[in-house]
Amino acid sequence: MISCTEFIPAYSELFKFLEQKGGKAAVISFWEHLSDAFLNNLRDLATKKGLAGCFEYWSHSLSEEAADFKMTLDEENNLFTIEMRKCPSKGRLMEAKHLKPYHAYCEHCDLLYRRVLEPLGFEYNIDLSNCDKAECKLVVRKKCK
Amino acid sequence: MSDKIKVLDCKQYDNEYLHKDFHGALCYAIKYLDEKYGPDTTSEYLEQVGRATFTPLIEELKKDGLIALERHFKRIFKLEAGHAEFELQNGQLTITVLKCPAILHLLTTKQLFTERYCQTTVNINKAICEAAGFECSCDYKPSEGCCVQRFWRKGENKK
Repeated sequence: MISCTEFIPAYSELFKFLEQKGGKAAVISFWEHLSDAFLNNLRDLATKKGLAGCFEYWSHSLSEEAADFKMTLDEENNLFTIEMRKCPSKGRLMEAKHLKPYHAYCEHCDLLYRRVLEPLGFEYNIDLSNCDKAECKLVVRKKCK
Repeated sequence: MSDKIKVLDCKQYDNEYLHKDFHGALCYAIKYLDEKYGPDTTSEYLEQVGRATFTPLIEELKKDGLIALERHFKRIFKLEAGHAEFELQNGQLTITVLKCPAILHLLTTKQLFTERYCQTTVNINKAICEAAGFECSCDYKPSEGCCVQRFWRKGENKK
């Protein structure tokens, strides 16, 4: 095994490897399969508890990943946000001098979670414009019926 | 603040970095590559991981020899609360894994598991060793979370 603390470089390397094999389409195809098969925890929580389920899912995973973030659940306004001040994954990839992150590494967060949440009736927006600083902002809204 | 607003504000140093569900994501990647491209491609990927992401360990292995590998694996087994016995003698490092923390986590949390997961150890160790002038073997039984890994300098014909 490798340690779970060594996973992110292996993940970034997987995206590079897939792109070498079949271009960006091969990477996107993997992300789609991963979202469908691996994110059942988020899917179940968001289905059962709505935005509170999103809060529960990310508070667990981002705490275990030692992220630097502020997460807000505003149930009155049907709004869930994550202000990522330092993404633990991108941050580590950038800090390690021997690693060159996959050029579109942060895009997996857009595809993976959007694909889970939009079919459940949520609006999903992620601002990746500062991802070269390991920062991003995620906004999820419950669509009004 | 309204009682309908909930906030979680965490700094990087508030929590330890240990997200064991990442083992599941790697397991899924192996299954995906096996099914979509075949096992040879999975090996090719894992060896690329070994060469590209373990460069510091490769350099330590070249410089310090097998003690660098012993140090590395002791650290990760401690971090992940695994159980392994280490023996370094006569130019051979033997790691007897009695409880693989990754497999234990995957099975106890009922995550996707592929019996090919241990190829991670086989292929990544091989790539690290080849890059540093060493050889290795790994005997494992799928799903049991136990294996015996051996490492020796290339050409010394240990095993």
